[in-house]
Amino acid sequence: MIGSSLDPRSKLIVLLAATCVLMTFHRWFELAIALGILLIVTLLLHLGLAWLGLLKGLGFAAFTFFIVAGLAFDLATAVLAALRLLSIGTAFFLFFQTTSPEALSNALIKTGAPYRALRYFPALAGPLLIQAFQLADELAEAMEARGFGAPGRRFRYEPNLRLLDWAIMIGSIAAALTVIFI
Amino acid sequence: MILRFDKVSYRYPGMAAWAIHDLDLAIHPDESVLVAGASGSGKSTLCRASIGLVPHFHRGELTGRVLLGGLDTRQHPVYQLFRYASLVFQNPDAQLFNHTVEAELAYGLESLGLSPSDIEERLTWVEKLLGLESLIRRLPHTLSGGEKQRVALAAVLALRPRILLLDEPFTHLDPEGAEQLRSTLRLIRSEGIAFIIVEHRLHEIITDVDRLIVLHQGEMKIDGSPRQVLSGDISTYGLNLPPLVRIFRALGWEKTPFSVQEALREMDANHLSPQIVLNFQEQNSIVAGPAPSAYRPVVEAEDLWFHYKDRPVLCGVDLKLGQGECVALIGRNGAGKTTLAKHFNGLLRPNRGSLKVFGLDTRKTSASKLARHVGFAWQNPNDQLFRTTVREEVLTGPRVLQAYDPAWCNRLFERLGLGPLLDRSPFSLSEGQKKRVSFAAALASQPGLIIFDEPTAGQDDPFRRELAQLIHELQREGRTVVLVTHDLEFAARHASRWLLLAEGHMIADGPPDALMANPTAMAKAGLRPTQRFQLIQTLKEKTKE
Repeated sequence: MIGSSLDPRSKLIVLLAATCVLMTFHRWFELAIALGILLIVTLLLHLGLAWLGLLKGLGFAAFTFFIVAGLAFDLATAVLAALRLLSIGTAFFLFFQTTSPEALSNALIKTGAPYRALRYFPALAGPLLIQAFQLADELAEAMEARGFGAPGRRFRYEPNLRLLDWAIMIGSIAAALTVIFI
Repeated sequence: MILRFDKVSYRYPGMAAWAIHDLDLAIHPDESVLVAGASGSGKSTLCRASIGLVPHFHRGELTGRVLLGGLDTRQHPVYQLFRYASLVFQNPDAQLFNHTVEAELAYGLESLGLSPSDIEERLTWVEKLLGLESLIRRLPHTLSGGEKQRVALAAVLALRPRILLLDEPFTHLDPEGAEQLRSTLRLIRSEGIAFIIVEHRLHEIITDVDRLIVLHQGEMKIDGSPRQVLSGDISTYGLNLPPLVRIFRALGWEKTPFSVQEALREMDANHLSPQIVLNFQEQNSIVAGPAPSAYRPVVEAEDLWFHYKDRPVLCGVDLKLGQGECVALIGRNGAGKTTLAKHFNGLLRPNRGSLKVFGLDTRKTSASKLARHVGFAWQNPNDQLFRTTVREEVLTGPRVLQAYDPAWCNRLFERLGLGPLLDRSPFSLSEGQKKRVSFAAALASQPGLIIFDEPTAGQDDPFRRELAQLIHELQREGRTVVLVTHDLEFAARHASRWLLLAEGHMIADGPPDALMANPTAMAKAGLRPTQRFQLIQTLKEKTKE
């Protein structure tokens, strides 16, 4: 398969270049064409199903981006933002699907990157993540068992507005009004 | 009745097998119940189902009905159920989630919606009950394992539940910690709170419970008083029986003694001959270490000192380990056992003094070179796993070290029953299977010295037997085995020599029987002789008279 026969370093350069190009596109059809090409490559590499899996998360992120940009700016910006996220996401997806972390770190080490940091990282990143998820899951269970989410929760140190608090609040509002109107 | 299971079956999402099956159970207020069973028998699931975490948190399929305080757990969320039943989880590192101990204790009370003054009252009560006054401002992650567990217990006890569940609470405790937990549980009982305790090490708690339930493959097999249950036929359930009961059973005697005095009384009353026990002990005593003439040193430490920052951990340790020996490193949590063991494979290096392993000075030899000779199986196998398949996990070491011998590794896979698991992810395995993978990984480079850190913690009886056999095989092959353990019964049976550590000092070194007969050294290391040893000693004295 061509994707995995390329040297990880050349693929990395392609990825960086593609990302730069995608960042410079400011018209929707440019981004749409780029995304189309990336998807064709995805299909040629038989990664279509995996990409659909990715879309669950990436699609949601792009949709959120679309809504936020649409509300904050306008429709055109929203379309651009969503398309850009999708195409850059797909480019990274292609890179990582065709390059194992070990292959990448080995290639970088050959180029003279620091050995220890890079060799440990891919070996440790996976288990660390898995352990982090396991721990998070166990903690969530422990929280649940101590009434997490119970309605009517009270606090040991409940915030309490005393006379001083009221005085300071009223005073500052009054000061602001004075400055504005006088 | 505080807790009731009516024909309850449950399976986790995506699993075909039932974790618990057709379970009927009724727990009354004031009862204390011990739940026993081999790994995977459904003990933890029973705990989770009791407080509604199964099915609410874990999803999956539940049939039948669990009633907690009269509430059907399926119809009520966990935040309504948690006031009736509390669970102390197995892993002490994964149940504290606040920034101080104080906040930890208050969390559940805040969930209950109590007023600040009621919260204060409960906090004072629970701090005093469990003696936590000195820990109250500490950060949870700086506590020791035993302290974390005590805080977790306090945090749920403050809720004054009607029933308390504890999932394998003795696993990580040293003998003194275990004694402290027992007295805490007695206090809790005196407060009128029922408890269910899940435990492999039956002898830790058997005298403090009035009911014993045995689970096997998700089904309840026996339910009765501890004596009733243990005098029945329980050989197929993988239980780690109390040591004296084990001796009596091996001799074909029906009685179930839980203490040495009881065993002596039963023997007197039933005219059972002490000599039979002594002969039995003689036949079952372990193979002695290598003969002095064949002694070849593997580890030689002289005046070894080590400190973490300013805190001294090892203070002038002298020791020698010979080829083919099985040695146990014993002492309190924090006595320096694991720190010493980490010196053997070069993970740590002495600040002062010298240490030679297979003739190599560890201060001048790289850890990777030592790894060729020294295998290390960690207490928690999750800390050791890092590859995507079991095969990779085991073979990475020998490949990197250029010590890969396919025949040896295949034999290892077969020996540890890993054949069918080779292509699976080590993270997807059960804890017992993970432990086996970690053993295989530690042995894969054919090391001459192998260190097992708490190998029996949380393991059932079949696993212990297998481990014992493995140790003897390794010894026969001329390998040296170091056990780091709190499990004195196991260490007394399978190690020919004990090294007692106390506050970084090697306070005694010798055969287990000699050390157990030395009350000063034992007390200094926070230990008491095993029940088996006490019985044998008393019988020996008796036969002399």
